[in-house]
Amino acid sequence: MKKLIEFELRKIFSKRLTQTALILILLLSIFLGFSGYQNKFAFDGKSLEGTGKLAVEIDKKIAAKYSGPLTDEKIQQMMSDFKPKSDLHGMNAVYLYQNAMQSAVFAHFSDINGNWNGLHVSDVFGDEKINIGYIDGWLSTSETMAKIFLVLSFIIIITIAPVFCSEYSGIDNIILTSKYGRTKCGTAKTTASIIAVFIITLLVTSLNFLIAFLLYGSDGLDCSILFAPLIYTEGYIPFNITCSTLFKYQFLLAFTGTISVAGITLPISAISKNQMTALVTAAAIYFLPAILPISETNPLFRLIGLFPLYHAQFISLMSIEQMSNGLLYAIWTVPAALIFIGIGVFASYKIFAKHQVL
Amino acid sequence: MELKTIELTKKFGSRAAVNGLNITLSNGVYGLLGANGAGKTTLMRLLCNIQNPTSGKILLNGKNIVGLGEKYRELLGYLPQHFGYYPNFTALDFLLYIAALKGLSEKTAKKKSKELLEAVDLSAESKHKIQTFSGGMKQRLGIAQAMLNDPHILILDEPTAGLDPKERVRFRNLISVFAKKRIVILSTHIVSDVEFIAEEIIMMKSGQVVHFGKPQEITAEINGQVWECIVPSEKAEKSAATFNTSNLRNIDGSQTILRIIADHPPMENALPVQPNLEDLYLFYFKGDTKR
Repeated sequence: MKKLIEFELRKIFSKRLTQTALILILLLSIFLGFSGYQNKFAFDGKSLEGTGKLAVEIDKKIAAKYSGPLTDEKIQQMMSDFKPKSDLHGMNAVYLYQNAMQSAVFAHFSDINGNWNGLHVSDVFGDEKINIGYIDGWLSTSETMAKIFLVLSFIIIITIAPVFCSEYSGIDNIILTSKYGRTKCGTAKTTASIIAVFIITLLVTSLNFLIAFLLYGSDGLDCSILFAPLIYTEGYIPFNITCSTLFKYQFLLAFTGTISVAGITLPISAISKNQMTALVTAAAIYFLPAILPISETNPLFRLIGLFPLYHAQFISLMSIEQMSNGLLYAIWTVPAALIFIGIGVFASYKIFAKHQVL
Repeated sequence: MELKTIELTKKFGSRAAVNGLNITLSNGVYGLLGANGAGKTTLMRLLCNIQNPTSGKILLNGKNIVGLGEKYRELLGYLPQHFGYYPNFTALDFLLYIAALKGLSEKTAKKKSKELLEAVDLSAESKHKIQTFSGGMKQRLGIAQAMLNDPHILILDEPTAGLDPKERVRFRNLISVFAKKRIVILSTHIVSDVEFIAEEIIMMKSGQVVHFGKPQEITAEINGQVWECIVPSEKAEKSAATFNTSNLRNIDGSQTILRIIADHPPMENALPVQPNLEDLYLFYFKGDTKR
């Protein structure tokens, strides 16, 4: 069996399309990581402003000044430090961006003119202890990874789509007449597919994490995502979780997402006559939840949200509920992924075992 | 060992590719002859259990092959007419992969792969990728993979297609040595290949067996219906088109010997000759309207 799995892995990774797709996603990760870094802008409210590396340094310096639990005193200090010094010409000060900390405090505590809106920390966040610091780097990495994981899902489809159907161009004659052709071969194919999915997902997530670590350092992992600059959709997750927790969930969802995608793609591969049909069908099923008329407020979204598209586009899924044990509803993607892959493995194995050569 | 088909039928829509076939095969080499569409490939696929029959069954020593599963496939070696391959695999890797599928241990797989690569004259190319192989080389690799597990039932669909005469001789010798105490079924359009190595001939037409027997027995059926006639070379082409002609041979530039299959002497100077398998093949598959 071990030998068969090795051969199947070799078949998966020796395909030119898979190799190209993998190189492209690694390059895309590097490109998006560095372009996000280069596009950073920060102004300290006094004299220093810059982009890229300088912007990150400015943001980190400002964050260091206020780091720790968010208090009313810190709010007042920040509102004073970042008060607009020029006429906004009617623009809402909340949408003004000087630096990450200013954007975060204005999002919650500013009126239209950039003055304190009268709210206290407890008014906005209740009894939650909000730890603040430099989270801009991690949040932008999280945002980039949501895009990367969407592409990653498609790459998993490209990788897994040929696993069964590429044999139907003639080699199935030989495979299915061999002793283990209808038994262990199917098991080896599904096992190798899962291993390949793990390897690819681990490679992509690790690379993105490494890039973020190299560019932004480890600051802010213990800080709350609730005090996020306005530009980040992660700020819409209404639960007081740290950046570290956010990343743990995002990594978990990357794996559950790709495993679920493999679960969808495997039986389609087994039933399709060629790779292109399998690829297009699997991609269509993957994107199907996006066109269903079910909004995030619809109770059915709890079910639809467990489809792999929402594992990659994770904000909606993360926003559903924080359960009484502290875990987010998104944890249900784990059994969902196991169901997807379980059904996928079983169905593809059975379909291949009963395949008739035409 | 006995492989038996009982009322074996395979239909594609309303067309029966194999129609109520009843044959019994025991150890020996069987040559399957028939025109395109006669049902040879379908019969082979049914025997390999990669196509399900519409009705009827196949028994190995009295047991249905469907129920035997792995136990049956363990005994089987199959070379399909067209088989895919993995372009990035080397010849040796391909054989090792098929050996793994056939359940051979790693040590045995390596030993058998090397032996068979040697036997089909591919040992020098064992580390070359299959995508660089010619059609004949791929065909030889296909023959090697079919024999990896020393199958008791070897089914070869057009095994000599794409092989040059030297390779065909090598193949025939390989099969002759291999065939002892085994069932070997091979189909080919090259009648001489079958004539050399097959102990029994199965002639198929429209999904049914029209002849089953030893070559000399079945060719005896057309005794007295094969003739050789000498005609002027300029008339040879016209005469060949008129009669069911199995061969034309120029003798001195001005005259041609025609080998004609006909119930009665086709010309005044016609001489009866001993029929061979090729004559029989043409008798059944070319000369329907001319008989």
